[in-house]
Amino acid sequence: MLDFCQCTRILPARHRRRDRSNRNIMQKYEKLEKIGEGTYGTVFKAKNLETQEIVALKRVRLDDDDEGVPSSALREICLLKELKHKNIVRLYDVLHSDKKLTLVFEHCDQDLKKYFDSLYGEIDPDVVKSFLFQLLRGLAFCHSRNVLHRDLKPQNLLINKNDELKLADFGLARAFGIPVKCYSAEVVTLWYRPPDVLFGAKLYTTSIDMWSAGCIFAELSNSGRPLFPGSDGDDQLKRIFKMLGTPTEETWPDISTLPDYRAFPQYHLTPGLTQACPKLTARGKDLLQRLLVCNPALRLSAEEAMAHSYFNDLDPAIRNDRCQ
Amino acid sequence: MAPSKVLTGQPKPTAISGVVTRRGLATRQNKEFIPDASQKQNLFKDTRIKRKADASPTKDKVTKRYALGNITNAIGKTISTQIQDAKKVAKKVTSQPAKPLTQTTANTRTLDKIVTCKQENIPQSKPKQSVTRAKPQLKKEEEKTEIPAPVIKALNAVRRSIEVEKSDESSLYVSALESLPEESKRLSRTSKDSAKIEAVVKPNNALNQEPEGEKSGPNDRINRNPCPVRKLPPGVSWDLDAENWADHFQVPQYAMDIFEYLKNREKLFVITDYMERQVCLSKWMRSLLVDWMVAVQESFELNHETLYLAVKLVDLYLTKVTVGKETLQLLGAASLFIASKFDERIPPMIEDFLYICDGAYTHRELTRMEINVLKVMDFDLGIPLSYRFLRRYARCAKVSMPTLTLARYILEYSLMDYATISFSDSKMAAAALFLALQMKDLGAWTTTLEYYTGYKLKDFADIVNVLNEGLHRKQKEALSTVRNKYSHKIFFEVAKVALKDKLEM
Ligand SMILES: Nc1ncnc2c1ncn2[C@@H]1O[C@H](COP(=O)(O)OP(=O)(O)O)[C@@H](O)[C@H]1O
Ligand SMILES: [Mg+2]
Repeated sequence: MLDFCQCTRILPARHRRRDRSNRNIMQKYEKLEKIGEGTYGTVFKAKNLETQEIVALKRVRLDDDDEGVPSSALREICLLKELKHKNIVRLYDVLHSDKKLTLVFEHCDQDLKKYFDSLYGEIDPDVVKSFLFQLLRGLAFCHSRNVLHRDLKPQNLLINKNDELKLADFGLARAFGIPVKCYSAEVVTLWYRPPDVLFGAKLYTTSIDMWSAGCIFAELSNSGRPLFPGSDGDDQLKRIFKMLGTPTEETWPDISTLPDYRAFPQYHLTPGLTQACPKLTARGKDLLQRLLVCNPALRLSAEEAMAHSYFNDLDPAIRNDRCQ
Repeated sequence: MAPSKVLTGQPKPTAISGVVTRRGLATRQNKEFIPDASQKQNLFKDTRIKRKADASPTKDKVTKRYALGNITNAIGKTISTQIQDAKKVAKKVTSQPAKPLTQTTANTRTLDKIVTCKQENIPQSKPKQSVTRAKPQLKKEEEKTEIPAPVIKALNAVRRSIEVEKSDESSLYVSALESLPEESKRLSRTSKDSAKIEAVVKPNNALNQEPEGEKSGPNDRINRNPCPVRKLPPGVSWDLDAENWADHFQVPQYAMDIFEYLKNREKLFVITDYMERQVCLSKWMRSLLVDWMVAVQESFELNHETLYLAVKLVDLYLTKVTVGKETLQLLGAASLFIASKFDERIPPMIEDFLYICDGAYTHRELTRMEINVLKVMDFDLGIPLSYRFLRRYARCAKVSMPTLTLARYILEYSLMDYATISFSDSKMAAAALFLALQMKDLGAWTTTLEYYTGYKLKDFADIVNVLNEGLHRKQKEALSTVRNKYSHKIFFEVAKVALKDKLEM
């Protein structure tokens, strides 16, 4: 222990704070059903018995011999505490009892993956547009508050019956500095992972989420068919390059200096995205093309994407939403 | 140019999950021993290598350990003997061809000695289940044995001397100065890059125009939006973010918003004078604690942001909760523990934090304190930090590395000064930068700085004086960590810059 002996004050006996961890706090909520299996715990639908409000509870176990609060949970809680926006799932409260943390979230009807799975036919093009816009708006909010999500995918987007969309699962998110530093390259679920990160880039920025947004846009337009369902890193890159063309030093300066860079064949240019997303309008395809750019420096930002002409005819009610 | 020894070929980090990999320092360790396979200059590898305290010469390091030993009761002696041992080992090792240390039995054997003499401190490491997030997509974690903390420490010492012997001046620079020496390279790269980007960009890049039919080519020829024109007030020399437009690692399109946002958040984290209420504590104890935290930051190679955040957590906690003196170091350790989880790519493990407290606290005490701090903070760790503002302001003013380093020294030195705890962090950054400019006779507070900081000199003049007085105060031996750190040539020996009695304000 630090030796405070030379310190001048005489110290009275230690004043021990009483541990106020609340054992019966969970009686405030009645668990209704399990709605998801989390990385570090189960997600339950529950009812607040005082207000009758429906919420989602995500539990984090705290093992005695463990590392304390898992850093993914710590970041998720801290970042969500800060990010209050209509297109980001609201974290109401964090409850602590001896062996666990319980995160109390606003409840949404389902995630986008389940929405896809229960779909009959196609998604209305206006809904596609609205979903994408809300996704971008939530992202722009994160990015302008120095937060990267780093795990965008349909399972982590929550949907309400009134077609609201919210970003959720900030378990891989992190705050970034300016300029960015090296962060983990082990982020983003494979199918939504951008080529720079697939090549092992540890230096990345907001563009990492923009690639995922592009993949989700394509998936929305195809009623839930993933655009690049690769089986491993190599296959993932192959699928991407077959669709978009293999990047070169000209289109992506210094690409070969990436940690895991390896050469890929120059695939023949195919109609690519046009064929892969036949239901998109010309403007939609143009926007998609600008999101799915291999060189991260050239990918559109969320704000730029929201200003794209694809959204010219967006329902004004959605555009003008105040989002608080 | 600096050898890029850190990021290549390093064993794949584990699970994708944000859950801290359990390997903690072991991982840091391993990556250090990767031979410099790719000496070739590599933007993505060596620009962001974080500061390696270990690159400092051994002598300096020993001083630091000694300083740490001085203020700890029991640990002091153990550590210094350990370092002696480690140095002996290092001698042997360095005479051998450089091989990955961890894999050679000879080395392991020599290390055994250290390990066995510190038996009682070896944490029981057991294989931990790794959490994998996504179904088929993610690779399974490689099996990895943990190295107990004491071994790591010994290894650290060994590695340190190895590195010192083989590293040349430039690598010292890169590692010591974190993001900084890259500046010059970055600048040159940026211009190169933007030239290339321009070549790729089609002349017509307005987004709101009708796309040309169904035509689609190789899509990396897509252009980016042009940089929006920002109207600068008269007298402001340049638009930094526009100049950086091609360098997305500077996040130019969000930089202005983000710093504005951070400035607005300062009011959420007000620290008030708490020493009156802390009947068991004194300013001196707080200084001692911060000095120790700086030493921990150095030996664990933590980001400076982690250190600054941890000190904030200590002060915010003390603003709200009364603690006894025997809890103070626990609070410091828990704060570093939390800050590491929040900011570090690979945070040290809990055992490491228990170890640096010399076993004064139990596992359970540390995890309890962690939760307590988080609750008192209401789980909001997005605290604006002076260190971040300073980097931004220095860039905006385009000051040289030695000047920025001097300002950093002033700021880090002030962490120990109780008189600064309630100042706004953005103003602290402005004041430290101003004082550094004064000390180097580089002139006054410019319109450009006023624009980017949002402050006129008079807004923070009082802080400048407090900082300057702090530097003048006679330094106690027990609080020498920061000064020693910045006395080294890798930090341009900025701690030796002559102080100013009179400032031009
Ligand atoms: N607030 C919520 N409302 C409705 N469903 C939710 C909510 N939060 C999570 N879920 C469901 O639980 C699943 C897992 O939650 P998530 O936060 O993504 O945890 P994990 O980190 O394990 O992926 C989600 O994919 C979603 O189906
Ligand atoms: Mg999820």
